[in-house]
Amino acid sequence: MTRWGARSALLAGPFILGVVVLLGVPMLLTGWYAFTNQTAFTPGTFTGLDNLRQAWRDPLVGAAMRASLVHALLTVPLRLAAATAFALALASPRRGNRIARAAVYLPSVLPDLSLALLALWAFNPVFGPVNGVLRAIGVTGPNWFGSPWGARVAIAAMMLLPIGEAFLVVLAARRSLDPSLYDAGRIDGASPRQLLRHITLPQIAPLLALLAVRDTILSLQVNVVPAYALTDGGPDSATLFFPVLIFDHAFELFRFGYGAFLTLALLVVTALLVLGQALFARSRGWL
Amino acid sequence: MDGDMTSAAARRPAVRGAASALVAALVVAGCTAPGPATSASDAVPTTIRLLMFGGPEERAAYQEVATAFHAQRPDLNVVIDAVAGQDELLARLTTGFAGGNPPDVFLVNFRRYGQFAALGALQPVQPLIEVSDVIDLADFFEEPLTAFRYDGGDLSCLPQNVSSLVTYVNLDLFEAAGLDVPFDGLDWNTLVEVATALTDADSGVYGLGTSPSLVRLAPLVWSTGAELVDDMVAPTRLTLDDFPQRDALDFLLDLNLVHEVTPPDLAEQARGSHDRFLDGDLAMLWSSRIEVPTFRTITDFAWDVVPFPIAPGGRDVTMLHSDAFCLPAGLDTTDAAWAFVEFASTVPGQTILAESGRTVPSRIDVAASAAFLRNDVPPTHAQVFLDNIQVVRATPSTASWNEVERRADDILEAAFYGRISREDARARLRELSFAPDS
Repeated sequence: MTRWGARSALLAGPFILGVVVLLGVPMLLTGWYAFTNQTAFTPGTFTGLDNLRQAWRDPLVGAAMRASLVHALLTVPLRLAAATAFALALASPRRGNRIARAAVYLPSVLPDLSLALLALWAFNPVFGPVNGVLRAIGVTGPNWFGSPWGARVAIAAMMLLPIGEAFLVVLAARRSLDPSLYDAGRIDGASPRQLLRHITLPQIAPLLALLAVRDTILSLQVNVVPAYALTDGGPDSATLFFPVLIFDHAFELFRFGYGAFLTLALLVVTALLVLGQALFARSRGWL
Repeated sequence: MDGDMTSAAARRPAVRGAASALVAALVVAGCTAPGPATSASDAVPTTIRLLMFGGPEERAAYQEVATAFHAQRPDLNVVIDAVAGQDELLARLTTGFAGGNPPDVFLVNFRRYGQFAALGALQPVQPLIEVSDVIDLADFFEEPLTAFRYDGGDLSCLPQNVSSLVTYVNLDLFEAAGLDVPFDGLDWNTLVEVATALTDADSGVYGLGTSPSLVRLAPLVWSTGAELVDDMVAPTRLTLDDFPQRDALDFLLDLNLVHEVTPPDLAEQARGSHDRFLDGDLAMLWSSRIEVPTFRTITDFAWDVVPFPIAPGGRDVTMLHSDAFCLPAGLDTTDAAWAFVEFASTVPGQTILAESGRTVPSRIDVAASAAFLRNDVPPTHAQVFLDNIQVVRATPSTASWNEVERRADDILEAAFYGRISREDARARLRELSFAPDS
C-alpha cells in the first residue's frame, strides 16, 4: 500500500468502522431477527415466515403503511416546494435576504420534540394561533389532533419547518447557475416566470429529483418523535406511522423478532418507492 | 503534497502517542465502566439503580427513601432513574434488558409486569420474602399481592402502593349549585343528574372528566356484576359485546354523546380534564391517587374525593392501581437491590412515600397511620382510598394485556368522541386478539 493509500485508509477507517458497527451489524441482526421469535429478554429461534403471517393478519400493519404513505405523499411535495420556493426567492444578494435565509434554516437546528411542542400549541383547537387566524377570517378551524385528516395535515405542516438542508442545497445550486443564461433570456424578452420555467427548474431538476428521493426516505422512516409527541399514532391510527408501530412492538411489547420483520418490510417498501422515483427521474432525463 | 507529508511525518509520534493514550483510556474505561453495580468495598459503596416513572414529587419522595436507606446501609447507594411515563419506562426497560444492563430494581404497574414475568425476566420475590427478617406479607393488603402473583403463583414483585379509581370533586362548584357532595357514593343515574346540573358548557364548565379508556370502563362493567373478559386467567376476548357489559359501555359513551356532561372532543383537546379540574372548571374527575400531589397546590377552591359510582342496583367495585418493586432475573446485585426493597417496604420507608401524598401504602399499618390519613391537607376523605381496597379488582396479568389495553383505548376514545359509531366500536373491540403468552 502506498503512503497516500495508507493515509486514506487511516482517515476513512473510523467512518468505515462506524458504518460496519453501527449500520452493518444491526442490519444483519435485523435480517436474522426478522425470521425468529427473538424478544428483548430471550434469544430467538428460527420461526420461518411466522412473522410474515402475523403481519398479514395484523390490521394495524395495513393501517400503519397507509398512514406512512399518506404522510410521505403530503410532506415530500410540500417540503420540496417550500425549500425550492424559499431558496429561489432568497438567492439574490438583496438586503435582508441573509437574515431571511438564516430564519428559514433556523428550525432545522431545533430538536424534533421542540417542534412538536410548538405544533401542539399552534394547532390547539381553541387557544392556538392557527385556528385564531381562521376564526378572524370567518372560518371555523378543525379539531386538528382530534380528526384523522386534521392530524395528518398538522403533522405535515410541522414538517414544513425543518427544511433547512434542502433549502441550502437548492440555494447553492441556484447560485451556481450561469448568470449569462438569464441575461440571454432577458434579452429575448422572457418574463421572470418564463426564466423560472425554462432555465432555473430544468437546470436544478436533477438535484430536486435527488432531494425528493432523500425526503421520501426521511418521511417514511424518521417520524417517530412528532407522531409520539403529538398524537401517539391516533386518532384512529391516522398517524400510526410504520416506525411508530415498529417501536411499539419492539420496545413496548418486547417483540424484537416481529419488530425486525416490520423494519425489513419498511426497508423493502422504501426501496421500491425510491426505485420507482429513480426510474421516473431517469425517464425524464433528470438522473 | 510532500510538504504536507513531511509535516505529517513530523507529527506522527505525537499522533501515535495521542492514539495510544486514547486506546488506553478506552480500555481502562471499558474495564471500569459503571455497570448495574460496582463491587462493594469499604470505601466505595455499591450502587443500585432504581428505574421508576413519575413526576418531580414522586422522584423527590423516592430520593428521600434512598437517602434514608443509605444512612442505614452506607455500603449501598441507590441512584434514582426517573422517566416521565409508563411508555418511556417500558422502552427504557426493553433497551436495558436487551443491552444486558437492566436497572437493579424497577417500579412497574400491575397491568404491565405480566409481559416481563411471561418471558422469565423477573426474579420472583417470593423466595426472598420467605427468608426475609424484615418483610412479612401479613403486613400487606392482600389485593395488590394477588395482582402481582403471575398466573396465581408465586409473588413476582412486591407491591409498593395500592391506589384505586375514585371521583375527585370540586366542593365549591357543588356548593354553588346547591348540591350535596356524594360522600357516601352515588349510582350512575344520580351521577348523570348531578353532572348535568353542574355542567355549563357555555362557560366551559363540565360536570365530569374522564379518559375514555379500558381501565375506566372496567369497574363500570364489574359493577353490573359482569366480567370484562371471558377468562380472567387466560382471556381470549373482551366481553363488551355481551349483556350487561354493553350497558356499561353505553353508559360511558352516553356521558359524552347523549348527556354531554363531559368536555367534548374539541374542549378536551384544547384543555385536558386534569388541567380543567386544576382551573376549577370541572366538577368531578375520575382518576387514581396520582392527582393528589398536584391537586394539593390548588388554592382557589376546596376539593375532596368520593367513591367511584356504581351501577343502579349493582356492586360497589373500583379499579386497582398498584405499582410494585420488581427485580430483574440473573443480576449480581439482587441481594443489594432486595435490601433496598426491604427498607422501602418497612414502616419508615413507606411512611416517607405516604407523606408525599402520591401513594396509598401497600402496608396496612402505614395506610392507617397519620402519614397517609393527614388532616391538614386534602383530600379530607382519604379514607375512601382505604375503603376501596376491599372492593378493588384487577385486570388480567397476561403478557398480551398491555397490547389489548392500548388498542382498546384507541377504539374507546374514537367512540366516546363520536368519531366512530358504537356498532363499529363494538365490532372492533370484538376483533381484538389476545396473543398466547408463550
